Formats: sequence, structure tokens, C-alpha cells
Amino acid sequence: MAGKPRGLRLFRNLNAKVAAVPMVLTTLVVFVGGTLWTVLYSFTNSKLLPRWQFVGLDQYKRLWSNDLWNAAIWNLAFYGVMSLIFTITMGFVLAVLLDQKIRFEDTFRTIMLYPFALSFIVTGLVWQWILNPEMGIQEVVRRMGFEGFTFDPLHNPNTVLYGLLIAGLWQGTGFTMCLMLAGLRGIDEDIWKAARVDGIPKWKTYLFVVIPMMRPVFITTLVIVAAGIIKLYDLVVAQTSGGPGNASQVPAMYVYRYMFTAQNLGQGFAASTMMLLSVLIVLIPWAYLEFGGKKHG
Amino acid sequence: MARSVSTRRKLFFTVAAWSVALLIFFPVLWTILTSFKTEASAVASPPELLGADWTLQNYSDVWARSDYPRFFMNSVIISIGSTLLGLLIAIPAAWSMAFVPGNKTKDLLMWMLSTKMMPAAAVLIPMYLIFQKTGLFDTRTGLVLALMLMNLPVIIWMLYTYFKEIPGEILEAARMDGASLKNEVLYILTPMAIPGIASTMLLNIILAWNEAFWTITLTTVNAAPLSAFIASFSAPQGLFYAKLSAASTMAIAPILIMGWFGQKQLVRGLTFGAVK
Repeated sequence: MAGKPRGLRLFRNLNAKVAAVPMVLTTLVVFVGGTLWTVLYSFTNSKLLPRWQFVGLDQYKRLWSNDLWNAAIWNLAFYGVMSLIFTITMGFVLAVLLDQKIRFEDTFRTIMLYPFALSFIVTGLVWQWILNPEMGIQEVVRRMGFEGFTFDPLHNPNTVLYGLLIAGLWQGTGFTMCLMLAGLRGIDEDIWKAARVDGIPKWKTYLFVVIPMMRPVFITTLVIVAAGIIKLYDLVVAQTSGGPGNASQVPAMYVYRYMFTAQNLGQGFAASTMMLLSVLIVLIPWAYLEFGGKKHG
Repeated sequence: MARSVSTRRKLFFTVAAWSVALLIFFPVLWTILTSFKTEASAVASPPELLGADWTLQNYSDVWARSDYPRFFMNSVIISIGSTLLGLLIAIPAAWSMAFVPGNKTKDLLMWMLSTKMMPAAAVLIPMYLIFQKTGLFDTRTGLVLALMLMNLPVIIWMLYTYFKEIPGEILEAARMDGASLKNEVLYILTPMAIPGIASTMLLNIILAWNEAFWTITLTTVNAAPLSAFIASFSAPQGLFYAKLSAASTMAIAPILIMGWFGQKQLVRGLTFGAVK
């Protein structure tokens, strides 16, 4: 009698393992296979077609002495830091605002999320337009009587990244807001009551009680946003195409350029390997924090 | 007295929040409005609102382009196809991870999710070459496969979080009553899982609809969906703002509509997909 349930359980477990096989296989073949392939070939001097001629770290040396690559890296670093700071702060502030039990909350949330549901391509186009000096914000303000007003971020190498940033924030803030709101709603009501009884002002409760409690939400948001930033591609393509000059080049565009336009696969591989590496630098500490520390807890 | 203050406070926050929402929604609204203007009216400065020439010409012009309906159909087929195929693979996997977790389940999930964060550029060339060799390049089948692969981690993760909410006791009870594995899945699990599956589907269709990196790199003309079509417009010569707005409006309309009717699913899906 005792043997049968155990046998059944084994059968179920086996079935479960089989059910996961297609997923594991696809991920394994595509992601791990493709990634390894890319990393391996980054050590070759592949030009138009991949070929197996080992040249060591030459591609990387060339990559890091390439002005375009260095510009792309700095652009991304600047954009990334600014974007992280602003999406997370604005997302949190908006979530707090939304948490005040405002009217039509669901509709508000949906509208805030709309930009996130739209593609980067459309976002880039729309903002290219709004920031266009002849018909966008600059023109409107000038018509209002401020003749000297100048606002043309996309055509100035010094400000083009801010132009991208505005569009990126517009797109992503609603998403961080929703993550933060879920975090806020996860805070026990009793904590608010306790704070009120102790006469702690609301803003202090947020700052010193709620935010520390939301640490996991902040970290998850940070990782998702950061990983998205490293991939930044479509927004730039639609909004500036990397210009003016190379002032808004980003690494993903460099990869694309060397693979398809310059037909220098080796460089493209080396550049994608560097991108992979930077994602890993973001992910591994997070994975360790989130999963490693309390793995079987 | 205290109540009136709190009502005023509430009103203040409501007004503040809605001003933000209006500001956020303005670019979309403006694009939609522009799509109904004539080209001259669209580029007029100052921007015209009340006195603009309204027209439906842009829509018929864009639709009359011999290739537009094809782009549109490609988008529909690719986003729905890749979602269904993804669900087919993801449902068994998510089910097994949620109800029969092993020692490695958490690691596996984590690893799955992290692949989604990897830059797509890293697998670009292998994918490109495989697609060229197998004749999948610039075909709908190819894009269905590619987008399914790209979104599979998200699908599995979301389904997993939804399946996790289904109380295991009910399944235990069914097992006690002697339900077979097939019946367990078919009559107990599936009905309870439908809302989660529907939300996952909605989100994934949106993700696939928006995908630009792969649709641009893996297609030329035949299988290119709307996202690639719009991207081709952003080339410098495409200065037809009203028509571009009409094309963009048609590209975003399905998302705006689906998002509106699936508000709860969309928000829940997005937050639950990431917040544990």
C-alpha cells in the first residue's frame, strides 16, 4: 500500500521534469549556444563571414582604442546613471501620489503605463517631433512671446543625451511607478497605524520606514531598468540615429554597424561580448542577493 | 471639519495626479490628433488645434499604399503566433515548476529570467546566420520563432507567478479523490489558471507587437511588421508628418485598445511579472 503513492509521486515528478524539457532545451540552445558562439568568435578575425582564425585579444584591443566605441560607452554610462536616478525617484514619488487613494486610480495607472506599452520606435519618433525646434516646444514657447527661447536638445552634441533621456523617462516611469506601487501596497497597514500613533510625520515614515522595507522592490527595479539600458537601441535609432555626429551613439548601435555595415564581424562580436559582460556585472550581484543568500529558505 | 480637510487633500492629490497623467498622455494624444490633419495643417506653426483642417485622407493614403495591409497582417500574425507557440511551451514548464518544485527550480527560474536581460545583440549573428541557412530569414514563421524565443522567459516567469497563487491543497484533494494527472490538469488546474494565462497572453502580444530589434534585423520586406515599417519612416526623407502620425496611430491603436480593456490584467501582469 505504501509503495503505490510513492510510485505515483515519482511518476508525477518525472512528468514534471519532462514538461520542463522543451523550455530548457530552447533556452539552452538559443541563449547559451548563441552566446558562447559569439564569445568564441570574438577572439577571431572574422570579417564578412565568421571564420575560425584565432587572434587572441586583438579585437578587444582594437575595440577599446576605437573612438566610436569609447564615445558609445560614455554616452551609455551617462544616459544610464541619469536614467536610473530619475526613473526610480520619479517612479517612487508618483507611486506615493497614487497611494493617496486618488479618484479613478485604475484609469490613471493605465494612462501612466501607456507609454511603456508603446514601442520605443513610436516613442522615439514622437519625441523627435516634440523636440523639433521648428514645430515642437521651442516654437510653441516662442509664439507665446518668448522670442529668445531656445530648446533644441537633439541637434546639439552637448544636449542630445538629455533629449534621449526625456523620451526614455517618458516611456519608463509608468513602469517603475507600478512596481513601486505594488511595493507600497505590500507594506502592512499596521506599520502606518503605528507610525501615526507615534506621531511620526508621513514624509518621515516614507523616508525612514517604508523605503528601507521596500529594499527588494528597489533592487528588482534597479536591475530591470539597468538591464534595459544596456540594450538601448531602438529609441536611439528612431530619435537621433546616433547623431549629431556620434554624440548619441550607443554600444548596441556599434554592434549593429560593425556586423552589417562595416562587415567586420569580429569587432561586432567583441562589442557584444563587452555588452554581455556588463549585463553580467549587473545581474550576478543581484542573483546572489536575491537567490543565493536564501536559496532554500 | 477634519473630514472636509481630508476631502480637500484628496482633491488636491487627484488633481495633481491627473495633471501628470495628462502631461504623460499628451504626446500620444497629439499624434492621434495630427493624424487627422492635412499635411499643411500638421506642420503649421504655431501648432493648430481648433482651426486645423481635419481630414481622413492620411488614413486612406497610408492604407492605399500597396504594402501597408501586408505590414499590418504581418504584425497580427507574428504577435499572436509567437504568443500561442510560447504558451504551448511555457504552460507545461511553468506548471511543473510551480507544483513540483525541485531543488533547482529557483535557480532555473532565475536563469531563465536573466536570459531576457541579456542584450539581444549577443545572439544576433548566430541567429542571423541560422535564419539565412534555414531559409527562415524574412519569413513570418521565422519571426514567430524568434519572438517566441525572446519572450519565452517572460511568459514562463509570469505563468509561474500566477500558478503559484493556485492553492496546492485543491490539487492534493483532487489527487486524494483519485483524479488522474490528465484530469487534474484539464479540469482543475486549467480553469483556475485561465486568468493568469489570459494576462500573460495580453502582455506578450503587446511585447511582440512592439519588438523592433529582431523585426528590423531579421526581415527585409516580406515579413516585416509595423514596427519595422514605422522605423523605415524615420529615415530623413520621410517628412510626411501627418501620414507618419496616421501610420503610428494605426500601429499603436491595438495596444491602446487592448490595454484599456485589459487594464487590470496589464497592470497586474506587469507588476506581478517582476515583483514577487
